[in-house]
Parts: sequence; structure tokens; C-alpha cells
Amino acid sequence: MIDPDRPIRSDAEAERVAVRPMVLRTFAAILRDTWREFLDAKVLYLLLLAIALLFGAALTGRIEPQPGGRQYLDIAARALAADLDGIDIATQSMGDVAGRLNGSVYAISAAEPLEADLPEGHWKATLKRTFIPLVGAPETGEEITARFGRIADGQLWTITEIRETGPEWTRKIGSQTWEMTVAPGRDLRLLWPHRFTLFGDSVELAGTKGAPLGLEVLILQKLLATGLGGTILLLVSVAVTAAFVPNMVRKGTLELLLVRPIPRWQLLVFKYVGALLLVAGLLGILVLAVWLITGILADVWSPGVLLALPSLLVFFALLLAVSVLTGVITRSVISAMLVTVAYWAILFIAGQMNNVAVESRIREANVGKMRPTSIAETIRGRQPRREEGLKPGRRPFYQTTIGRMTEGVYAVLPHTEDLDNLVDRQLMRDFAVAGPFRALMESASFSWEKGLGLTLLHTVAYLAIACAIFSRRDP
Amino acid sequence: MVVSVNHLEKQYGPNRALGGVSLDVEPATLFGLLGQNGAGKTTLIKILLGLVAPTAGEAALLGQPVGTFSARREVGYLPEDHRLPEYHTSTSLLDLYGALQGIPRRQRRRRAAELLDLLGLAGREKLRIRGYSKGMKQRLGLAQALLHSPRVLFLDEPTDGVDPVGRKEIRDLLLEERRRGVTVFINSHLLGEVEQLCDRVAILRKGKLMVTGTVADLTRQKASWLVAFDRGMPASFRFPGATVEPVEGGSRLRVSLAPADGPPPLPQAEANEAIDYFLAAASAAGLRVRHLERERATLEDLYLAIASGGGTP
Repeated sequence: MIDPDRPIRSDAEAERVAVRPMVLRTFAAILRDTWREFLDAKVLYLLLLAIALLFGAALTGRIEPQPGGRQYLDIAARALAADLDGIDIATQSMGDVAGRLNGSVYAISAAEPLEADLPEGHWKATLKRTFIPLVGAPETGEEITARFGRIADGQLWTITEIRETGPEWTRKIGSQTWEMTVAPGRDLRLLWPHRFTLFGDSVELAGTKGAPLGLEVLILQKLLATGLGGTILLLVSVAVTAAFVPNMVRKGTLELLLVRPIPRWQLLVFKYVGALLLVAGLLGILVLAVWLITGILADVWSPGVLLALPSLLVFFALLLAVSVLTGVITRSVISAMLVTVAYWAILFIAGQMNNVAVESRIREANVGKMRPTSIAETIRGRQPRREEGLKPGRRPFYQTTIGRMTEGVYAVLPHTEDLDNLVDRQLMRDFAVAGPFRALMESASFSWEKGLGLTLLHTVAYLAIACAIFSRRDP
Repeated sequence: MVVSVNHLEKQYGPNRALGGVSLDVEPATLFGLLGQNGAGKTTLIKILLGLVAPTAGEAALLGQPVGTFSARREVGYLPEDHRLPEYHTSTSLLDLYGALQGIPRRQRRRRAAELLDLLGLAGREKLRIRGYSKGMKQRLGLAQALLHSPRVLFLDEPTDGVDPVGRKEIRDLLLEERRRGVTVFINSHLLGEVEQLCDRVAILRKGKLMVTGTVADLTRQKASWLVAFDRGMPASFRFPGATVEPVEGGSRLRVSLAPADGPPPLPQAEANEAIDYFLAAASAAGLRVRHLERERATLEDLYLAIASGGGTP
């Protein structure tokens, strides 16, 4: 039974219903205000123009596979000798390999493509194995199939057909021969050398020999998204948004806002969120455009580059909080801009120095082991080296006073450099890029949880301080 | 009482902006707040708006403590040297302030259009405030103060930078608001305008309330007249109890019916009677009156007297 005299809502409920749309209305109004102020900055159009030109230039690019590719079969063959649980054996010298696996040496003695389209087509190849009888046992085609083409950088080739051809007696003197048909592996295209030209053929970006496709795409994505493109966009965003709070707290403007029946912190926080949403939109456009353009150019659609969006956005959230705090304290656009850029510079330097410290730890742990080299280096014939220890009496960087200070300071700073490294790591994984830089990026000390957590913690702290000052100060 | 202020004090560091001000203002009053720069007018208003917390004392607006949200919904404010965000147009700015004031969208649009029309800003909706003249900014500032139909208005120099026709329009607007029951506080240095417009005034000096009263009381008639005769007054003419001095280069005479340093001015009726006797005596001496005007104490006289350090004159 419903009592007809019972009021529909209690006063407290009515109050809540009345207040909720008020907050939304306030938020929507400040969002529109921020949007207007943002668009008012003409520099934004220049930025969009600059990005459009950058992308226009990128779209004139052509990426084409280089002919050849026998060397990739050689690498695949050498990889057979790999201790597959070990490190990058594909980069080790013949001597190293022979010593480590049954005294065997594998070599491709003949190879030709069956179809014209490189590098996707099938190849016919002859594999020769030479081993020392009694030390090494004969191998079956299945064993070869299981291991062929797998290298640290990725999967180069897979065997689709294999037939042992040599006469039976040659086994006894330590020689085996297989005729085989190989299909491109998952990563062959990424590792295959491609030419990269801009503006027709007028600018050659990867040299005449070309570079692995994955590496080219990675560099392009990094340059346009987290590198140059992202940096320009963030700089312009910092410049535009640095004016927001000083303009708002200006004498004669502030009073017109403070007399409204809303809490003061909402003015600041909603303005902050509004600016953040707008920059998130710009970053979203940038990152999505980078992904699309590299996809169209190279037909490589790995989504790793999309991780640049949270990484850049969280970084900007931090910078914006610094800018808001400075703006509240100094009420000056120039100060807000300079302090924010200086803060950025400090984070950058601390991050780079911390990378050096992390690298010195990795290097020390790997002394005596083979240095990881990339397939690109292998193709160029660079000899793999062992990681050398430091000269006697010299300490690794992380044990020096500056190194200790670096790690100490970095521990409490927002880990934005980690976020950048994590994006790089994902790109390297996506594009089968190996080498010392990859080894640094794979360091366990970088994690999304720590990177995001510390950065957001700083962001919230700066905002809270700004709100506290703003709420207490007499206009 | 619309405004009730009790022993209000405000200290900015070592500076005392307000030193114990008490004031009561009734509804539907046009209240003029006068005083030199730094006298504490703006501080008083900011306390009433809840923008600044008082160091001591109490202030209430419409029966509630100042600064509460429900008090702020009833208050419109035009600050001195206001700077409206230049990237807005008139409509987008009023829309922003209306939303922050809690007015639903359809309502605030209608009200904004109405006010822009009323203040002569209609037809300029597309223009950014950056391109506004000072007078236009002033009108828009007034529009935002009136947007939510507040019951109390605090206006700092409301006609600043506005042309004479515009001033008249604004004065009419404020009179209309008062007729609707709105209480209007006006901070102004244009004493003539305040005298013309306001019902009551208060004069502040160095954070203290020096004078408060109705304009009629403060600008009461003096016991002196300005007289012009058709010809010069013969040197022999004498009238006991009156001091006669030429003013305005001799074209008029000031006739004071009490000595400047003597007893207080004569009561109204006696003063009127005295001038009759004076004129009769002049007429008897062959002089004919061309002009006669009773002198009043202007707000300016009072203001200058207080500003120069005196008390109530």
C-alpha cells in the first residue's frame, strides 16, 4: 500500500536531485568555456597545419622490399645451431656455434625463390650440415623443421617440405644434405630489408641497401608519435593551457567566477579536466593518424603504437597539474609556461640518467655473455662481441655517487621516462627489433603499474595543493 | 533587512581595511557607497559577497550568513575594473555565467537575449568581447550581474565609460530594478549621479563609516540664497542679519542669513521669512529680482569635507 500523504521525496533526497544536475551543468559550462579558450589560441591552427604537413610528407613515402634475401636463409640455417634456451645465437660466429652444438655447422648451399613476390613467396633451398662423427649424431628432418628459422629476433622461415638427399654413406663421415621448401615465417617481412623513399624517389631514408621493415616502421612511429610529433604537440598544448589558470585568476575576472554558487575547487578542477580532455582528443588524433599512416605505407598494423596515447596523456596530465599549480601561485602565464617546461626538462634529464644507470646494471650482470645484436647488424656483417667488464678500478655508473643520486632522485620523481620506455619496448616486440637497446627496454625495472601510479600520484598531489591554495586565498 | 553588518573588521597583514563598520540596509533601496580609493568600499562589498572572510564581526545578507550558496544565488555583482574573458561573445559569456549560477539552459538563453536587448547589445552576438568598446563591456558586465534576477545588486562604477545616453538608460534600469524590489549597492565616484539616483548613502574613510543617511537629509537646504538683481547693488544698501557677497564674478550675490561662524542655520520657516524681508528691503531700494535660488549642500560638499579629514559637517 502506498500512503497517498507520504511525500514523494524527503528533503535530503530533493537536495541531492537538485545538486547533481548542478554539478553536471557546471562541468559542461566550464568544458565549453575551456573549448572556446582553447580554440581562441591561434597557435593551435599552426600546430594542426604542422602536423598535417608532417603527415603529408610521410604519405608521399614509398616502402618497397629489396630484392635478394639469401642472407636471411643463411641466418636461419645458422640459428639451427642455437641453444634455443640461450640468447641471440643467430648473431654468434660460426666458431662459437660449432663449439656449442654437437660440433655441427649448418650452411645453405643453394637457394632460389619459387615465386617472384618477395619476401612473401616460398623458397627452395639446400641445407648442408657438417658435424664431427662420434661427437654429433645424425639429425632427422623433423628435428631440423622444429628449429629452423627461429632466432631471437623472431621467426624467419618455416619449412613446409624437407627431404634428405645425400647418399647414406656421407652420414658416416659427418655430412648431411636436405632439399627443402621454406615459407616466410611470421616476422620475415618485418626483418626483410626495405627501401624507404620520400617525395617520389628523391629522398632515401634507409640507405640504398634498405633496413628491416619493422625497424623503419618503428622509427617512423616513434618519430611521429612519441618523438617529434608528440613533443611538438605537448609543447604547444603546454603553451596554450599555461594561460588558462592565470587568465582565470586575473583580478576582475576571478571575482565574476567566485561569486557564483559553486565551490571554488570545481572551477579549478573542471578547467583542468576540460583542458585534459581537449589535449586527449588531439593526442588521440595524432596517435591514430600515426597508426593509420604507417599502416597504409607499410601494411603493418601492429597496435603497439596506440600505447603512446595513455603514455603521452598521463605525461601531459602531470605537466598540466604543474602548470595549474604555478598559475595559481604566480598568476602569470610566462611563469606557468617556464616552470612547466623546466619541470619537463628535469624529468627528461633524470629519466635519461636513470636509463644510463639501468643500462649499467644490465651490462654488469651480463659481463662475459654475448652482447645481443640485432638482425640488422648481423646482415651488415658486424661481428658479435662479448660484453666486456669495466677497466679495473672503475665502478659501473649506478655505483658512482652521481649514479646513486640519480637513482635516488628518480625513485621519487614521476616515472614518465619509464612510460616512454614501455611504449618503445612494445614497439620493439611488435617489430621484432633486437639489440642492446631492446635489452635495456626489457629491463624488469620498468612497469606500467609503477610508471602510471607514481605519475598520477604526483599529478593528484599538485592539483590538491593548487585547490587548497585557491580555495583559501582572498581575491 | 537586506544587508545587516555588525562591527565588521578586516585586516590585510598590517593594513586595516575595515575598522568596525556597522550598517543596515532595507529592501528596495538604491544605496550609494562613497569614499576615496582605499577607504574600504570594495572590501566591504567583497565581504558581503562572501569573496573575502572578515577578520571580526558579522555580516548577513537576506537573513543568512554571507557566502552561503543560497545567499550567492540572490546576488549580482559588477566588480570594478572587471575583465570579461575576451575569447567569449556576449551570448557565450552569459551562457557560461548563467550555467554557473544554476539557471537551466532554455531559461538562461531567453534571459540573456532579453538583457542584451535591454542593454542595447543586441545584434552584436557574433562579436568577441576583444572587439568591444569600454561602454559595451560595461553594459555586458551589467547584463551578467542582472542575469539571474538577483534580489541584491553590487555595482562598482556601473556607468564607467558609458556615454551620457547610455548612462541615462542604466539609471532608468536601476530605478526599474528598485521598483521591482531589488536592493542596489552602488560604488561610484560620480557624486552627481549618486545624488541623483540613490536613496541612501554611506561615506567611508580609512575603513570607518563616517556618515550614513538619506540623500535628502544629507543634502538639506542651507540658509543661503543666490540672488541676481537687474543692476548692481548700491553700496549704501544694508540689511541686518545677512551677509552679502558677490559670487560668479559678481553676476550673482550670495545672501547668507546667518553668519558663517555664528549660530546654526535658521529653521526653515524663519529662513524663508528672513529672505522675504531681505527682498522687500531690496525692492524698497529700487532693486528688482531677476533670479532667486536657495542654496543646497551637495553630496560633493559633504564628501570633500569628510575626505579632507573633517567629521560630519
